[in-house]
Amino acid sequence: MSANSKELLKRSQSLLALVAMVVALSLLSDKFLTFANGRNILLQISVNLCLSIGMTLVILTGGIDLSVGAILAFAGAFAAGLLKNGLALKAFGVVLQFTPFGAIVAGIVVGFALGWFNGIVITRFKLPPFVATLGMLSIARGLTMLWTGGFPITDLGPQFGFIGAGFFLGVPMAVWISAALVVIFVVISRRTILGRYIYAVGGSEKASAFSGLNVNRIKIWVYALGGALAAVAGLIVTARLDAADPKAGLGYELDSIAAVVIGGTSLSGGRGSILGTVLGCLIIGVLNNGLFLLNVSPFWQQVVKGFVILAAVAIDRTNKAER
Amino acid sequence: MSRILKWVVMLIALAVICRAFPLFHVVSLKTAAAKNAAQKFDAATFAENFWTEKLLPAADKAVNADVLLAAIQQHLAAAKTNYARSPGMGDSYIYFLRGEGKVVSIAGDEIFLVVSESATNAEIVLETGLIFGNTLRDGTGLLSASDYPDSQDFNDIAAALNKIVETRVLPKLRASAKIGAKISFAGCAEIDDESTDLKPLKIIPIQAEVQ
Repeated sequence: MSANSKELLKRSQSLLALVAMVVALSLLSDKFLTFANGRNILLQISVNLCLSIGMTLVILTGGIDLSVGAILAFAGAFAAGLLKNGLALKAFGVVLQFTPFGAIVAGIVVGFALGWFNGIVITRFKLPPFVATLGMLSIARGLTMLWTGGFPITDLGPQFGFIGAGFFLGVPMAVWISAALVVIFVVISRRTILGRYIYAVGGSEKASAFSGLNVNRIKIWVYALGGALAAVAGLIVTARLDAADPKAGLGYELDSIAAVVIGGTSLSGGRGSILGTVLGCLIIGVLNNGLFLLNVSPFWQQVVKGFVILAAVAIDRTNKAER
Repeated sequence: MSRILKWVVMLIALAVICRAFPLFHVVSLKTAAAKNAAQKFDAATFAENFWTEKLLPAADKAVNADVLLAAIQQHLAAAKTNYARSPGMGDSYIYFLRGEGKVVSIAGDEIFLVVSESATNAEIVLETGLIFGNTLRDGTGLLSASDYPDSQDFNDIAAALNKIVETRVLPKLRASAKIGAKISFAGCAEIDDESTDLKPLKIIPIQAEVQ
């Protein structure tokens, strides 16, 4: 096999794995390869896809974000609270009654702010991303409990619910939103200066700093974008359930890291792509769906998913060593 | 200068967007409070009306205790099919029954009754302690969860009905029940575990008259 063919094979590993899984599951279950099931898989991965796009940017800079699940919960609850109860400004004797659009904007802004705070803590106080975002995980979970009082906020109305449970041209809105985000962030990562800087910082932070890049500012932007994307995921989850559950998003950060790693993004930064992450999300989604259709116990599904992640990291390490 | 212009253009664009798609409406606290009060579901008032207008009249149509006990004795599955109601997705079910029985013993928050003359052991227990759960709300089939988009409202109805029983039915019953007295009763019995909940049937009473 020529060097070029070998390289092409390495680059297509995730895609080949996905194709192999689709073929195998189509043979094993007659319910797998149907339009309804395909739409179902896309709907199921849409939340993880939103989280994983942000996680990809963070991991590309050589960082990690463990707080996305908690930010998802807080942003969803924050928006739901504003929509349901408004924001009372007692000093002025008024209440700001948020429209669905206003609640969505507020949710995204709060997610962006929490991600920005992550970036500040990591760059200004030089805390390892693992520790800083672990702290944010706890902060955001606590804020969610304080905001909701520990109870779900329900009955948010059909206008807000449309982004999570609505359809456009027969496709769920959540799928449209995640697809739009994929397109936007593929363009950002490939065609903009910010995208190039993100890869540069992940490739070598020192070299980037020496060549005049404001590394801290790039990292803050990346974490802030990650927070905003987690907020979008939170809004979708909340709209879909017509309720903000204070315990939403538990463990979602691990699923998003898994999707990024399976998609071929290197945990040490500088290498990977948003499209690879899309493949990673699809692999996890197809795996979950296929194992469910084959009546495999959820406990075994966890075990299988764990092995797939280990295999993906092992392949990444082997490729890196060969280089 | 060009930078200032850029910011001005951005602010104008933002203002236009916010004008077209308002983020929020400013309402006075008084107006908002009045609107909230009008919209808020009043579980206590609802339960009060439901109690007098629907639940107590429905007691006349509940299955007779002696009929139900005989049916359970003969064929449990048939008794369940004919007389029970399964409110949720779990295995538990509820009987709505009425009848008359003689007090054979009183222990703590429980009054033990026999319904048939030939019975040697208590067949019915009237619960007289604190009431928890959704048995009263779900036991008659008069209320459906699908009518309440906010599940909290539906939960509040259960709590309000339990409170009515605790404050109106149980104090009188506790005060007047004596061994040997006859009590006519109506209420709901939830069966979670058939091995323990059927003999005797544990009833949350909605009516209890000591004769």
